Amino acid sequence: MTISRRDLLRLGALSLGTGGVLAACGPQAGVEESPNVPSLGVAPTTTALPPAEVTDAVLLRTAASLEYLAIDAYDAALDLGVLVGPYAGVAALARRFRDDHRGHADAVNALVKGLGAEPFECANTRLTESYLAPALALITADETADPAAEVALLAHALEQLATQTYQGVVAALGDPALRAAALRIGADESRHAALLARAISPALETIGTTLDPGTGKPRLAAVPAAFGSLSALQVTLGRDDAGAGTTLALDTPSLNSLAYAFVACA
Amino acid sequence: MPPRLDLNPVPQFSDADGALLGFALGAETAAHSLYESAAASTVGAGETGPALALMRDHHRAYVQALNGLYGEGAPTDRSAAVVAAFASRVTDPADALLALRELENVLAATHTALVGRLESVDAAALVASIVTTEARHAAVLAGLANAGLDAALDASAEPLAP
Repeated sequence: MTISRRDLLRLGALSLGTGGVLAACGPQAGVEESPNVPSLGVAPTTTALPPAEVTDAVLLRTAASLEYLAIDAYDAALDLGVLVGPYAGVAALARRFRDDHRGHADAVNALVKGLGAEPFECANTRLTESYLAPALALITADETADPAAEVALLAHALEQLATQTYQGVVAALGDPALRAAALRIGADESRHAALLARAISPALETIGTTLDPGTGKPRLAAVPAAFGSLSALQVTLGRDDAGAGTTLALDTPSLNSLAYAFVACA
Repeated sequence: MPPRLDLNPVPQFSDADGALLGFALGAETAAHSLYESAAASTVGAGETGPALALMRDHHRAYVQALNGLYGEGAPTDRSAAVVAAFASRVTDPADALLALRELENVLAATHTALVGRLESVDAAALVASIVTTEARHAAVLAGLANAGLDAALDASAEPLAP
C-alpha cells in the first residue's frame, strides 16, 4: 500500500481531532472534578431527593405547622393595634384563640412524638408565603379603608382553613384514634370560626347563609351549611373606600405544603 | 343455563361499623325530634326561632345522610337516652338554648368518639363533617343564650356510649 503525502496529512489531522475530543471527554489534569461540570460521555453523579412519604406523622406535623401559622397571624394582627373601639370584642377573641392554638400545637405535636416523629414547631413556610404574607400586605396597604374589619375577616378565614384541614385529614389518617384526636381539635377551630362570624356579622339572620341585598353575594355565616365543607376558601382583603379589593384563595395544605419528615424549621 | 346474578347488596362496612352508624343515626333522629319540639313551642316563636329551625333542618339532613350511608335496614328509632335527657328542657324558654347547646356538645363528642372507632373511611369522613357543624351550632347557641366565651368554647361534654 502506498501512502501519499496528502493521505499522511489527513491522517495526522484526524489523530489530532480525535485526541481533542477524547481530552474533552475525560478528566483533565489540574481541573477539579465536579458533578456541576459534566464531561461528554461521563454520567454525572446525582443526589436523589429525600423520600416524600405522606404518613400519619407528616399529616399531623402539617397540622402543627398550621397552628403556628395561626399563632403568627394573631400575633401580627394584635400588633397592628387596629382592634380597638367596636373591634375590642374581636381583640378579646383573637387573644383567646391564639392561646387555644398554642394548646392545639402542643397537643398535635404530642401525637407526632407518640408516632416516633420529630415535632414541628414553626409556621408552615409555604402557606405563610402564599396566604399570610400577602394578606397582611393587603390589610396594611394605605388604600385599605378598614384594616380592623379585614383582620377579623382574615382570622375567620384562617379558622375555617384550620377546621377544614382537620376535617380533611380524618379521611387521610390511617389510625382511627388519630382521626378522632384530630377531629376534636378541628371542632375547636370550627367554634372559633363561628364566633368570629358572629362578631363580624351579629345580625340573627346571618347565622345561616344569606345574600347581601346590596351586592347579591353571600354574607359571612356562622353556620354556612349542614355539613362541614372542604372546598377552597376565598377572602377579599385590601378593600378601598369603594369596596374594591383583592380576593385571595385559600386551600388546605397539599402535597407541596406538607411538613414532610425532611422538612425542618429554619 | 346462564349464570345467576347475585343481587345481594355488598356491605359497605363491617357489622361493627354498622352498629356505630346505627347508634349515630338514633342520636340524630332524637336530636331532630327535640328541635321539632322546641320549634313547635314558644321557644320557636321567639327571635331565635329561625336559627333553631336552621339547626333542626341540619339534623334532619344528618339523619338522611346517615340513613343513606347505612342503606337498607337502617334503624329508625330515636335514642331514648337522648330524648329523656333533654325533652323537658328544650321547650322551656328559660333553658331551651342552653339545653340545645348541651345537646349539640354531647352529639359532637359522641360522633367524635365514633370516628375513633369506625373502620370505614367514608363513614368517618361523613361523621366528621357533621361534627364540625355541630360544634358551630353549640358555639352559636351559647352566644344566643349569652352564656359567655368559655361556654361557647366548652368542649368537655362526655360522649354517649353505644
